[in-house]
Amino acid sequence: MRLKNLSVIAFVMVLSALSLGNIFAYGVPFEMNLPDVFHNLFIFLDAVVLLYFLWQGILFKHSYVILFALVQMLLYGAVMLLSPSVVSSDILVDNISSVMYLVINIVGGIIIVFALEYIESETFTRVRKNSFIAMLFFFLAVMNFIVSTNNIEIFFLLFELTTLCSYVLIGYRGDELSKKNALQALWMNQIGGVAILMALIFSILQYDTIYFDVLITNSEPLYLLPIVFLVLAAFVKGASIPFENWLLGAMVAPTPVSAILHSATMVKIAPFLMLKLFPAMSGFVSLTVTLIGTFVFFSASLLALSKDYFKEILGLSTIALLGLMMALAAIGTPEAITACLVLIVFHAISKALLFLQAGILEKSFHLKYVDDIDGLVNRSPLVVFFIIIGFASLTLPPFGAFIAKFMAIESIAGEIHNNPLYVFALIFLALGSVFLTLLYFKVMTKLFAKEADNKSQYVKISKYYTIPSFLLLALLVIGVYISFEREFLSSLELVVPLLLIAVVPLLFATLLFQKADRVKEYNCGEKDEIQLSMYYFHMPRNVQLTISVLATLGMWILVLGVLL
Amino acid sequence: MIEMLLILFAPLIGGLLYGFERIVRARMQNRQGPPLLQPFYDMYKLIDKQAFIVNPYHSILGIMHFVTLWIVVAFIILGQNLLYVIFLHLLSTIFIILAGFSVKSIYSHIGANRELLAMLAYEPILIMMAVGFFMLNGSFDISIIREKEASLFPLFLLFLAYLTVIPIKLKKSPFDATEAHQEIVGGVEIEFSGVFFEFLYMAKWLEYIFVYLLLFLFAGNNILLATALFLIVFLLLNLIDNATARIKMNHLIKIVLGVGITLGMCNLLGLSYV
Amino acid sequence: MYEKYRKKSPWILHYNAGSCNGCDIEILAALAPKYDLERFGVINTGNPKQSDIFLITGPVTLRSRERIVELYTQIPEPKVVVAVGSCSCTGGVFRDMYNVEDGVDRYIPVDVYIPGCAVSPELIIDGVVKGLDILEQKTKEMEKPFKLFQEATTKDGITSRRETPLRVGEDNEKN
Repeated sequence: MRLKNLSVIAFVMVLSALSLGNIFAYGVPFEMNLPDVFHNLFIFLDAVVLLYFLWQGILFKHSYVILFALVQMLLYGAVMLLSPSVVSSDILVDNISSVMYLVINIVGGIIIVFALEYIESETFTRVRKNSFIAMLFFFLAVMNFIVSTNNIEIFFLLFELTTLCSYVLIGYRGDELSKKNALQALWMNQIGGVAILMALIFSILQYDTIYFDVLITNSEPLYLLPIVFLVLAAFVKGASIPFENWLLGAMVAPTPVSAILHSATMVKIAPFLMLKLFPAMSGFVSLTVTLIGTFVFFSASLLALSKDYFKEILGLSTIALLGLMMALAAIGTPEAITACLVLIVFHAISKALLFLQAGILEKSFHLKYVDDIDGLVNRSPLVVFFIIIGFASLTLPPFGAFIAKFMAIESIAGEIHNNPLYVFALIFLALGSVFLTLLYFKVMTKLFAKEADNKSQYVKISKYYTIPSFLLLALLVIGVYISFEREFLSSLELVVPLLLIAVVPLLFATLLFQKADRVKEYNCGEKDEIQLSMYYFHMPRNVQLTISVLATLGMWILVLGVLL
Repeated sequence: MIEMLLILFAPLIGGLLYGFERIVRARMQNRQGPPLLQPFYDMYKLIDKQAFIVNPYHSILGIMHFVTLWIVVAFIILGQNLLYVIFLHLLSTIFIILAGFSVKSIYSHIGANRELLAMLAYEPILIMMAVGFFMLNGSFDISIIREKEASLFPLFLLFLAYLTVIPIKLKKSPFDATEAHQEIVGGVEIEFSGVFFEFLYMAKWLEYIFVYLLLFLFAGNNILLATALFLIVFLLLNLIDNATARIKMNHLIKIVLGVGITLGMCNLLGLSYV
Repeated sequence: MYEKYRKKSPWILHYNAGSCNGCDIEILAALAPKYDLERFGVINTGNPKQSDIFLITGPVTLRSRERIVELYTQIPEPKVVVAVGSCSCTGGVFRDMYNVEDGVDRYIPVDVYIPGCAVSPELIIDGVVKGLDILEQKTKEMEKPFKLFQEATTKDGITSRRETPLRVGEDNEKN
């Protein structure tokens, strides 16, 4: 028991150390070819995975799953028949991959450490508990591989493997709802698989290659179909509207799964793929992707305003920020790329921190809905502190997400000169960022609600829960230090808000205003008990429909525009 | 040196401006009005009053609101990044909203809620304004914007959009639903008393400085134009304040967001073709 | 040194304790442009926590007693209570009726009485200015609403009609 925990922690430490070593020892891009045995193994694995999907579809009588599994088998067969001649290396580790390694291994590792304690409080058998941890590690392994591959065929296999992992993990509880959402995640992600296969076929037909680097350097602005299909796959994986339901459905899984899906793995494939593809994008593709991304940013944050389930709010804000990341990657100026990378890293840390708190709330306080976290500050100041830091790090200076948003506005503003349509992207971005702030503070305000005469009742929280949170906090601080080093903002601009944010909790801790007289709240002189609840924004059904239709329309325009 | 002095005395200048405005408003209604130094008398009185607090978080967040706003004004005077200043101003608004929600008081909650909604209305316009300056001057730095030519005419539509923002920030009719003194008794500021209310009172003065400093950006390096703009906007604002009734919150959002975004978008589109 | 500034910035809380609205209209008239009470720095805040002067109209109906005390306790010291109109001074025409307490001073200490039915705005201005002088002399020490406490059921010879003192928030106090 102890040994297992220790070995998991040791393994996470090794992974983190390796990913750190990689970024410090980084020199030229690392390239490598895999022997043919591996390729045959990959083909075998592909077949197994697709057959498994088909079997699951038949088992649960889910027509979409069966349909997409069959389509994928057909297309995969077609890909196998074609034989491209232009070859390159299978493994390519560049700058972006190094950053992704950091995110995947360090943040993902911390979440696994958290999961050790979390899974103990579930009612699974011991084998299932252990295999849960093993599954998470397998997920990390797949993600590590996916960011280092250069071969689209291998990429397809790994893409399907992440789909498989998410399918198994979402359905882990085994109840009715979990099964339903897991199947939903499965068929939606299979659309991404279909898109990748289409891209593969078009790429082989036109450019005679299955390698990313060859495809990107050789692509002609007039024939961008493979790029566009890969972009579509990214949209599916990034749960962009209209594919947002699979990520929201993933909330039924144990919290570490949501945490790892949202922060370190899975959805991060989307911006990563965009970052790989941006050099090949023509003006039209880049503009359309930017518009779709910012539109998703805007509408997901709008939709989130009407939700009250804590994890659902976090999920929609993830979708929103992923939209922004993809938009930034598509713009492709050096500044936008930096902003995108900064956003990937900081979003992973902040979201992991927030999801860990959601897990703690669920396990230690049995809270799920925002309405119930009323006055949490009286019961656990530490959790409240982490939640506030989490939200603040997504919105406020001096944290990375703010810097990224800041640079996003700058880079989009710079693009307006080239194409006036970027004005819409700017408006979506401005509105979306205000909505997101509104959303985060809707949750935050709830934490503080405290009556004039309220006694504190502290609740003790397990060490295994708080230590991962502290580790993530340390990462945030390191991130601030790095952005200080890299001079994204002037030192004055960084130090002042940091002081402000640091001073607030300090004042809370020290100054308790003992001398001041307490008084009850003004209630027109009445003494009736009042019950104050959270505010909601009513989101009519047709607004949601319109948003989905617009987003779908955007994707069709993307495909058709390239076709014509 | 002058900048430092300006930053140090910014609340006092704002107080004078507020006192002057009360006189102007009184004269518009054909009455004498309070003395010019009235805000400072209020301030001294508030220091001397017994301090009541509801809970410590509430009071501290109120103070943080004031401090952050002062920093915002300082950053504008020092000529920092405009976009950054706007986001920092957002932070100060968030402090006061958090304060409003941290007490179990109906009016405070309604006020904070309205403050949030008002933020939703004006924040995109401020961001678009910053982008307009960026497209014209190639930089977000206020110091650079101040050295360039007056940008009132190329950014005229954005200037008009900004005019709709000013009454919200200064709690002026018809866009004063956030404060709505007769209706929700001041909204977020209701639970503050004594010396803690004084911080909010001074924050109100700083809000004046913030709004007019942003207005001066439209005048660039032309001091004459800046003065003219200030006078015109100041008189217009008080005239409209005296002449109109308060409108509902949902109308406020629709009007400000609709008009502001349309104007801003037209202006930015126009700029991109130049 | 701060004392003299109290006089220059009196903020008003106006409470209607069952008045016929005559005095309330006169108070509003005093604040409006014709008499312009604002030239003394007066603001009608409507919020006890930021007020200095408590203007009460009406004969204090049984319903409004608790509210008066509650509002009074929420005004930070130093504060001045002004009873506006005959009703709030003594009960006026409603004196000795079954549903009124005769005058505000049975519950909270009153500093200035302004008689009249209805009071004229000039008198209100005079009363408020008189209240300012009192405000200047007051200290920050607490003045307690005396009827709330057992030992102070009588004051200045006026005895409450009730045998037991009123305790705020007691359930059986709801009429």
